[in-house]
Amino acid sequence: MSIYDSILLGLSLVANIEAFLSLFIGIIVGVIGGAIPGLSATMAVALALPFTFAMAPINGILLLLGVYKGGIFGGSIPAILIKTPGTPASSATILDGYPMAEKGEAGRALGMALWASCTADVVSNLALIIFAGWLASFALNFGPPEFFALILFSLTIIAGVSGDSLLRGALSAIAGLLLATVGLDLVYGTNRFTFGDPNLMGGLNFIAVLIGLFAMPEVIAMAWDPTGHLGKARSLGKAWVTFADYKRCFKSIIRGSLIGVFLGSIPGIGAAPSAFLSYSEARRTSKNKANFGKGEIEGVAAAEAGNNGVAGATLIPLLALGVPGDVITAIIIGAFMIHGLQPGPMMFVLNVDIIYGLFMGLIISSVLLFFVGSVAIRGFRFVADIPKRILMPAVLILCIYGVFAVNNNIFDVGVMFAMGWLGYAMLRARIPAAPFLIAFILGPLLEDNFRQSTLMSGGDFTIFLRGPITWFFWALTIVTCIAIVRGAGRARKAQKM
Amino acid sequence: MAFDDLNRRLGVFALAFAGFLVVFGIPNWVYSPSNIQKLILSPLFWPYVLAGLLALVGLGLLFVRAKPDPETEVHPSGRAGWRRLVSLAVIMVLTMLLLPRLGMVWTSMLAFVATAGMLRTRYPKAAIICAIIMPLVLYAFFAHVAGVAIPQGYYVRLP
Amino acid sequence: MKFTKLMSAAAFAVGLGATAAWADYPERPINMVIPYGAGGATDISARTIAEPLGSAVGKPLVMANVTGAGGATGSVAVQNARADGYTMLFARVGSHSVNPAMKATLPYTLDDFRFVTVYEINPVACAVSPSSGINSMEDLIAKVKEGGVTYSSSGVGSLLHIAAVMVLDEFGVENPLQQATHIPQKGGGAAATAVLNGTATFLCTNSSAVASFVANGQLKPIMVTTAQPVVGFDAPTANELGKPALNQLVGWTGIAGPAGLPDDVADKWGAWMAAATKDAGFLEKMQARGSVIELMDPAAANAFIRGQYTKFRALVDRLGMRIEG
Repeated sequence: MSIYDSILLGLSLVANIEAFLSLFIGIIVGVIGGAIPGLSATMAVALALPFTFAMAPINGILLLLGVYKGGIFGGSIPAILIKTPGTPASSATILDGYPMAEKGEAGRALGMALWASCTADVVSNLALIIFAGWLASFALNFGPPEFFALILFSLTIIAGVSGDSLLRGALSAIAGLLLATVGLDLVYGTNRFTFGDPNLMGGLNFIAVLIGLFAMPEVIAMAWDPTGHLGKARSLGKAWVTFADYKRCFKSIIRGSLIGVFLGSIPGIGAAPSAFLSYSEARRTSKNKANFGKGEIEGVAAAEAGNNGVAGATLIPLLALGVPGDVITAIIIGAFMIHGLQPGPMMFVLNVDIIYGLFMGLIISSVLLFFVGSVAIRGFRFVADIPKRILMPAVLILCIYGVFAVNNNIFDVGVMFAMGWLGYAMLRARIPAAPFLIAFILGPLLEDNFRQSTLMSGGDFTIFLRGPITWFFWALTIVTCIAIVRGAGRARKAQKM
Repeated sequence: MAFDDLNRRLGVFALAFAGFLVVFGIPNWVYSPSNIQKLILSPLFWPYVLAGLLALVGLGLLFVRAKPDPETEVHPSGRAGWRRLVSLAVIMVLTMLLLPRLGMVWTSMLAFVATAGMLRTRYPKAAIICAIIMPLVLYAFFAHVAGVAIPQGYYVRLP
Repeated sequence: MKFTKLMSAAAFAVGLGATAAWADYPERPINMVIPYGAGGATDISARTIAEPLGSAVGKPLVMANVTGAGGATGSVAVQNARADGYTMLFARVGSHSVNPAMKATLPYTLDDFRFVTVYEINPVACAVSPSSGINSMEDLIAKVKEGGVTYSSSGVGSLLHIAAVMVLDEFGVENPLQQATHIPQKGGGAAATAVLNGTATFLCTNSSAVASFVANGQLKPIMVTTAQPVVGFDAPTANELGKPALNQLVGWTGIAGPAGLPDDVADKWGAWMAAATKDAGFLEKMQARGSVIELMDPAAANAFIRGQYTKFRALVDRLGMRIEG
C-alpha cells in the first residue's frame, strides 16, 4: 500500500463532523483547563479520558490530543496575566510574559504566545509525520549515561535565566537541587530529609513548588506594599501583536520548535525543560539580550515555541515504540489500550489508517488551536482589568484549590505556602526563581541517571563516555560552560570600564 | 568585613547552611543502609556533593560584590509592611489549620475576606461578593465537573 | 490534643445519631483514593470498576489519585481518615504486601486497614529483550551465574523489585542480591523501557504492563508465574518449570477502609462488589488487559494478602533486604 493510499484511508476516518467536533471540544477543554492554575494540561487530559471510552477510537484519541495541545497553550494565559503558570510547561513564559503584562502589553504577549504556539505546533506535527520512525529508533539509544549527559547539558540553561548575577543564579539552582532530594532514595528506598512525615516521603509536589515559587510571592509582595502598583498601566493594552513582531521572532520560534521536537522525542524530559532551553538559546543569540526578563516579546515567543514544539513530538515514541514520554502521553496510551490498540511498530502495519487519521487530525488541530486561542485571549482579557487588591486574594484562593486538586492532598497547600515565603525571600534578595525551578526538575533526573549508570557498569566511569551521543553532549556542555565563563568575564570588564 | 553588600550576606548564609548540612543535617536526616559497597551509590553522596557546591558558591559570593540594583530597592512600607507580612503568614497558618476541619469552601471565604481586608481594598463590597461567590464556583467546578474530592469539613457539607 | 478530643466527642455525639443510620449508608458520595498516578495499572483498574460499582452503590464514587512514595502517601491518607466508609482505598500489591514486607519505616502496617475485597489478580511475567540471546529461564539463570545481569523495577519496594529477586531465588541463584544488580526506575513504564533499550537484562512485572511490547515482538516473555498460561504470552508457566511456589507471586487490586470500618459497611461492600464484578463490560475490559477477575470476600481477601505478605516477608528477612532507615 502506498503512502497515498494510507493518506486517503486516514482522510476517510477524519473527514467527518464527529472527528472535527471532538478535536474542537478537546481544544476548548484544554485551553480552559490549562488556564486554571493547578488544573494543568495533565489533569485536563485525565479528566477527559473517561469520556472517550464510549467514542470511536480515532475521535477519542483526537479529543485527548486536542486537550493536550489546548492545555499547553492555555497554561500561558495565567502565566502572562497573573504570573501563575497554568501548567508546568508555561513557567518559562512568565519570565518575559508577566513583565509585558506589567507594562500594559498583556494582549501583545498573549497574541505572540498564540502565534508561536501554533507555529511550533505545525513544526512539531510535521516532524512527527516525517520523522516518527527514524526519531523513534534514535530515542531508544538513550540509556542512563546518555540521559545523564543530556541533563548535565540542560543544566547550563541556568546561566541563561540567572539574570544579572550568575552566582546568585547558581545559589538558587543548588537550593532547588537540595530541595529535590527530599523523599525516598531511588536506589535504596531510604528516607532523605523526610523527618518521618509520610507526606514528605513522596517528595515535594512539583506543581505545589512551582505555584508557590511564582504566584505566592506576588501575593506576599502585595502585602508588603499594597499601593505600589497604583498608577501603573495594567490592562490588556491596545498594542496587539503585529506581523513585524512575528517576523522578528521567527528564527527563535523555529529554533524553539526544533528544540521541542528533539527533547519531545526523547521519553522522560517533558515540555518545561524544553521551554527553558529554547528561552535561553533565544536570549543567547538575540540582539536584545539585555531586555530579556524585562518584557521582551521574543522571550515569550521562544518559551511558547519550546513547549508547544514538544506536544506533537512526544507522540513519536508513543506511536513508534509504545513508550510514553511523559505523564500526559501515559494517559493517552491508556486511551489507546482501552480501544484495543497497541501503540508500537506493529501499529504502523496493523492500524495504519488510524495512524494517518491521527496525522490528519493533528494538522487540523493547529488551525483550530489558532481560532480557539484567539477567542480565549479575548475571553480572559477581563482578568487584566481586575483591581489588584481583589485579584490577589482571588489568586490565593485559586491556587489553594488548584494545588489541592493536583494530588488531592492538603499537605501540598502547605508546601505551596512555604515555598511562597521562600520565593518572596528570594525576590527580596534578588535571587532569580527560574534556576531553582529548573534544578528542581532536572536534579532528580541527574542523580538517578548517574546512579543507574554506575549500577549498570558496576562502578566503572567509562560508561559515561560509551557512545557518540554521550560524546556529543559532553562536548556541548564543555563548549557552553566556556562560553558562559568568557561571557561573565567580558561582562565584568565592561562593567569596570 | 562589611555586611552591607547583598552578595556578601548571601555568601555567609550559604557557607553557614552548607556547614550545617555537613555537620548536622545530612548525618541526621539522610539514612543510608549499612551494606553499601560503593560510596558513590550511597544516598548520602549526592547531598554531600550539593553541600560542597553550596559552600563553593558561598565562597564565590563573598568575593564578588553585587551590582547595585537598577530599580533602587522599593521599601516604602517599613513597619506597616512587616505587620502586614506577619498577618498574611498568620492567615496562611490559620488556613492550613482550618482546611481539614471547616472544609475548603468556608476556609477559602474566610481567607479571601481576611486577605482583602488586610490589603485594605478600595472595593470592600466587591471583595465580599467575590469572597462568597468564587469559592462556591470553584467548588462546583472542581467537585462536580472535574470530580475532585474537595475537603468538606465536619460541619456544613455542600451537595 | 484537647481540640482533637473535643472533636471526637462531637463526632461521637453526631455518631450516636449515625450508628442507627448505617442502614442508610451511603448517604453521600464516597471518596475512593487511588494511591498511584493516572494511567497506571491501579488507576485503570479502579476507574474500570468504578462504573459498574457506582451503579451498584447508588451514590457517586469520587476518584482521587493521591500519589507518592510507592503508594504510601495515599494509603496513609486513608489510614488516617474516619472509619465511616466514606473514604476507601484501592489497595495494590505494591502498597499492601511488598511495601509492608520490605520497609521498616513504612508509616502503616496491614493492621491499619480492613480489606473488604480483592477483585483482580494480575499474572506476573518475566521478559527479556529479544536481542539479549536469552530464550528461557534456564538461559537467564546461566547468565546470572556468569555475572553482569541486571533487572529493572518501578522502584524500591515495588512488586517488580521483589518479583525479580524471588524468581532468581526460586531458581536456585544463591544470594540473588549480589549475583544480579537491581536498577530501579521511576514507574512501570520506565522499567519496561529500560529492558527495551538494554539498560537492564530482564524484568518481572504484571503481564498487562508488557502485553503490548510482547505483542509487538519488542520483548520476549520467558515465564509467567500463574498455573494457567496467559493469553498472548508464548512462555511456560511456573508450574511447567517445576516452581509452583511462584504462583503466589501475582499482582492484585483490592479495596480497603481504615481499620475500624464497621461490619455493616464491609458487608455492603461485599454485596456491591459481587454485583459489580458480574458486569459484562467490566469483565470484557479487564480480561482484554490480561487480568483475572477473582472476587474474594473480606475474610478471603485478608487471608490472601496476609499469605502473600508472610511469604514476601520471609524472603526479605532471609536475604536481608529489609529497609531500616
